[in-house]
Amino acid sequence: MIASVLLQGTDGLRAQAEIFNEIFSVFLGLGTLIGVIVVSYMLWNAYKYRDDGSEPKESFDPPVLGELPTGKGGPKAKKLFLSFGLSAIVVISLVVYAYGLLLVVEQGPDAPGVESADMEVDVVGYQFGWEFQYPNGVTTQNTLYVPEDSAIELRVTSRDVWHTFGVTDLRIKSDAIPGDYSETWFTTDGEDLASGEERTHQIECFELCGSGHSYMTGEIVVMDDQDFNTWYDEQAAALENESDGSGAATNGTDSGNGMENATNAMTAQGVEA
Amino acid sequence: MSELPPKTSLRRWFVTTNHKDVGILYTITALFFLIMGGMLALLIRFQLWEPGAQFLSEIAYNEAVTTHGLVMVFWFLSPFGFGFANYFVPLQIGADDLAFPRLNALSYWMYALSGILLGISYFQGGTLSTGWTMYAPLNVPMYTPSLGSTGAILALAMFVIGITASTINFLTTIHHSRAEGMGLMDMPLFTWSILATVYMMLFAFAALLAVALILLSDRILGSIYFSATEGGALLWGHLFWFFGHPEVYIVFFPALGVMLELFQSFSGNRLVGRKWVIIAICLISIQSFLVWTHHMFLTTINLEVKTLMMATSIGISLPFDLVVFSLIYTLIKGRIKFTTPFLFAFGALLLFIVGGITGVFLGAIVLDYEFRGTYWVVAHFHYVMFGGATALFGGIYYWFPKMSGKMYDEFLGKVHFVIFFIGFNAVYFSMFLAWETPRRVFEYDPAFQPMHQFGTIGAVVLGLSFFIMFYNFAKSYVSGPDAPDNPWEYTRTAEWAVSSPPPLENWGGRPSYASGKLEFVSEALTPSDDHDGPAAATDGGHGEGHGDDHIESYPYWDKHASHASIWPFALSLATGIFFFGLSGVSSSIDITTADTLFGTGITVSNPVYPVFTALGLLGIIWTAVKWGLEDFYAPPMEIAERWPFEGVEKVKLGMWFFLASDVIVFGAFISAAVFIRVAAGWYTWEPLTDSLPGLINTFVLLTSSFTVILALVYARRKSRKGLIAYLSATILLGLTFLSIKMWEWHHEIYDVGVTLTQNSHGDPVQATIYYVTTGLHGLHVVIGLLIAGFLLVRAWNGAYQEDPRPVEYFGLYWHFVDIVWVILFPLFYLF
Repeated sequence: MIASVLLQGTDGLRAQAEIFNEIFSVFLGLGTLIGVIVVSYMLWNAYKYRDDGSEPKESFDPPVLGELPTGKGGPKAKKLFLSFGLSAIVVISLVVYAYGLLLVVEQGPDAPGVESADMEVDVVGYQFGWEFQYPNGVTTQNTLYVPEDSAIELRVTSRDVWHTFGVTDLRIKSDAIPGDYSETWFTTDGEDLASGEERTHQIECFELCGSGHSYMTGEIVVMDDQDFNTWYDEQAAALENESDGSGAATNGTDSGNGMENATNAMTAQGVEA
Repeated sequence: MSELPPKTSLRRWFVTTNHKDVGILYTITALFFLIMGGMLALLIRFQLWEPGAQFLSEIAYNEAVTTHGLVMVFWFLSPFGFGFANYFVPLQIGADDLAFPRLNALSYWMYALSGILLGISYFQGGTLSTGWTMYAPLNVPMYTPSLGSTGAILALAMFVIGITASTINFLTTIHHSRAEGMGLMDMPLFTWSILATVYMMLFAFAALLAVALILLSDRILGSIYFSATEGGALLWGHLFWFFGHPEVYIVFFPALGVMLELFQSFSGNRLVGRKWVIIAICLISIQSFLVWTHHMFLTTINLEVKTLMMATSIGISLPFDLVVFSLIYTLIKGRIKFTTPFLFAFGALLLFIVGGITGVFLGAIVLDYEFRGTYWVVAHFHYVMFGGATALFGGIYYWFPKMSGKMYDEFLGKVHFVIFFIGFNAVYFSMFLAWETPRRVFEYDPAFQPMHQFGTIGAVVLGLSFFIMFYNFAKSYVSGPDAPDNPWEYTRTAEWAVSSPPPLENWGGRPSYASGKLEFVSEALTPSDDHDGPAAATDGGHGEGHGDDHIESYPYWDKHASHASIWPFALSLATGIFFFGLSGVSSSIDITTADTLFGTGITVSNPVYPVFTALGLLGIIWTAVKWGLEDFYAPPMEIAERWPFEGVEKVKLGMWFFLASDVIVFGAFISAAVFIRVAAGWYTWEPLTDSLPGLINTFVLLTSSFTVILALVYARRKSRKGLIAYLSATILLGLTFLSIKMWEWHHEIYDVGVTLTQNSHGDPVQATIYYVTTGLHGLHVVIGLLIAGFLLVRAWNGAYQEDPRPVEYFGLYWHFVDIVWVILFPLFYLF
């Protein structure tokens, strides 16, 4: 369900969800396999060598009370090093493999050879909600509107305590730390939306931030290109009217930081439709 | 010194310093906190029955989450393991007791009373509600204003003080009191795991103490470290997780030690690859300090550091792999007895394998990005930490016969295991299935409701299983059959070679492994020429601390070791009262600032907390003096293995361990200063103050280092006058330092306008760092002067002529304080 929506990627850019799903299945498969082997081996030996009351074999040489421990060498020690060597190979391969895909996630739309980000949005967490600041100065609360078929970069921060911005079905997450900007990105590719159609993703807070933590949710709304552009321009116009007019810093969707955000916003790069 | 009352007397349990008594106290207290933490866990589970705040209010839920974590991690897991460590480490290495018995009792009382402070914090307007990780800036009063939040952090600080004392004690004991013939590599693996644990604790808990002190300074004095946007929140993350990751192994290692013992004792085999297991344990202990940023992969730490920490984090699974394989191979060709203790140890290994594999997932950064803050993390660390504690329950069944002298009921024990194991997996495996739920929320996706309900039922089952254990132990203690000395067939370690329970001083004769196996040597101790004996060549030690200067009047061969002192309890009680007072002192006193010191107005709105603070402080000083004056005799072992500290006397070794932990405390403060300055832009800050007063103070302190050396020289020459003169000179120089410091602060505050939260030159946090860091150093100077004053009075009365060592120990501390200043001076006055 998630996969069908998100797996295609934009122009060579693999969605984080796709990369996550790949690594997760590799780790889960390998982990389950190793876990099952080790646990079965352990249970089987525990059963096989249980004390069933029979006479002990001659080779059985239990430790005696008060002896200085010597440990045990021989074939068992060889087996120990063999198993250790095998697990080292598995672990080192996993590190190398995971590192390769980490680079893809870290670079995201900044990587060479993929299309660069279509829009950058600042995300500001606060007790208890999310504010989104668009390049043209428009701000929204708790709902992030984005156009379809684009790569979106988010710069996440907080204006009070430590929050964590996360969208489970897009498999993206970023800490929102006061005084600091951390970045993440996602793509909105998928089945084409008709005009008026929307696709939504749930935003949640993943770091305990106070009494309202459980309710600190929001939505990402993916819109049809045309719809988004119309909405975006309307918001910008409304913002302009208000700053030309009374100077009262409110607009259709914002709660009062419009003016400030308009001046603070990053250099507008527009939305490439 | 007083006589130790019988076990039936309540008084005994307040005065005892015997390691076995203290071990029992730890165990019972830890089980009490298990019940408390378990109740809190059930509150969380009931809240999760349905999405939404059904059962607890939002803030009460956050409080339950926070205190559940704090109680289980700090007040249950470690102390439970250390109950066994107290009881069995001295027995396993052939010692009579821990190196510092009164300090051991002090650790226990600090622990127990800090737990009471935590309980009280619930009634001080609500306790801490930040989660046990206490992330900044949610942890500052602006967001968590209740007195109980401060109270809970003070309780944690008090707990850490007890832990630090305990750490020093175990390190000194294990390095100083091993029976003849028992080299470090010969120690039983439970003792080995405790040794590795206390080394980690020494450094990790010092970092936690530092971060707690900084936070308390923010909460009580009003400094602004963690609310600073110049890296304040990240600073908390780094300092907390520098402690926090080793802490995972600190709580797991005692359980691992139990597993290593039990797998051998119940399979009849010796451990496979014993040497490599010990090496793996040492490697994990070191590596545990190099993985902490994997808790912060989603912050702005750069990719290079993250990659390095990913490699170390995943790589730390390798030594664990070796230990796990060694445990499994130890079973092969054995005669495995599935008794209750072994079932728990075996179950613990199964759970740990699940916890370990799911932990490797979290080490991979891309996966961690998604797992961060979800139930995957919750499930993983419960499998590791509570899975480890499963082995500790094996330990309590294993050692119950030794500790109580009674056998438990095997059938009930097995029933407990089966119900426990089912309940455990029901709770925590369901968390893996519902892993997309964010942590610490109760408003979750209804799709996960069946999983969470299943988990809640599992939690009730898990909780109820413990009543079988409590019933089993209570019934067995009252009417169970007497336990033989060695109820298990294949044990090796020395605790099974003495009666159940062991006698007060453990041994009939002196335990020795010189012949390769345990023997009890019953030699008549010869008088003091024993000092020249090979095993204790450089050790003339008799007494404990500066209290003992009467050695001539008490030749050790006719003086009995002491086992009772009320001062550990009294000092802890005074500390508890002091900390309780501190929790409310800032809200009870209003200070109105003015242009001059004398214009400052102080109004006390509520005298209760300030009075408690003052009483507690006086109590601390009084009980510490009484402690110092008490005639308490804890003989060092005359013949012992001490590698690698053969030439170091017992108290001096303890002092070195203390100073090592204090290095970390100051190291954390200095790192905090550097971290925030780098975040603010290093070159944007100029020194706040003139360098001249700092320079003069540097000379003053360095001179006092010379005078304290001269004091020791004259004490060794048995010159009372010289000792008094140079101790006085040291005190005068210390007072000069403090006077110049006070003048400097006065000048800064009233002439320049730089206060704790205001800085006319630039970032206010710079002023906070300057005052708090130099203030901590000043506090060290004040404590040093108090000790020096104590020494001076005693020297006046003729002490230290025969035994100048207390002057030397004080000197070590004083040199350390001076060295710290030599680092602080350039940091705050020159650059």
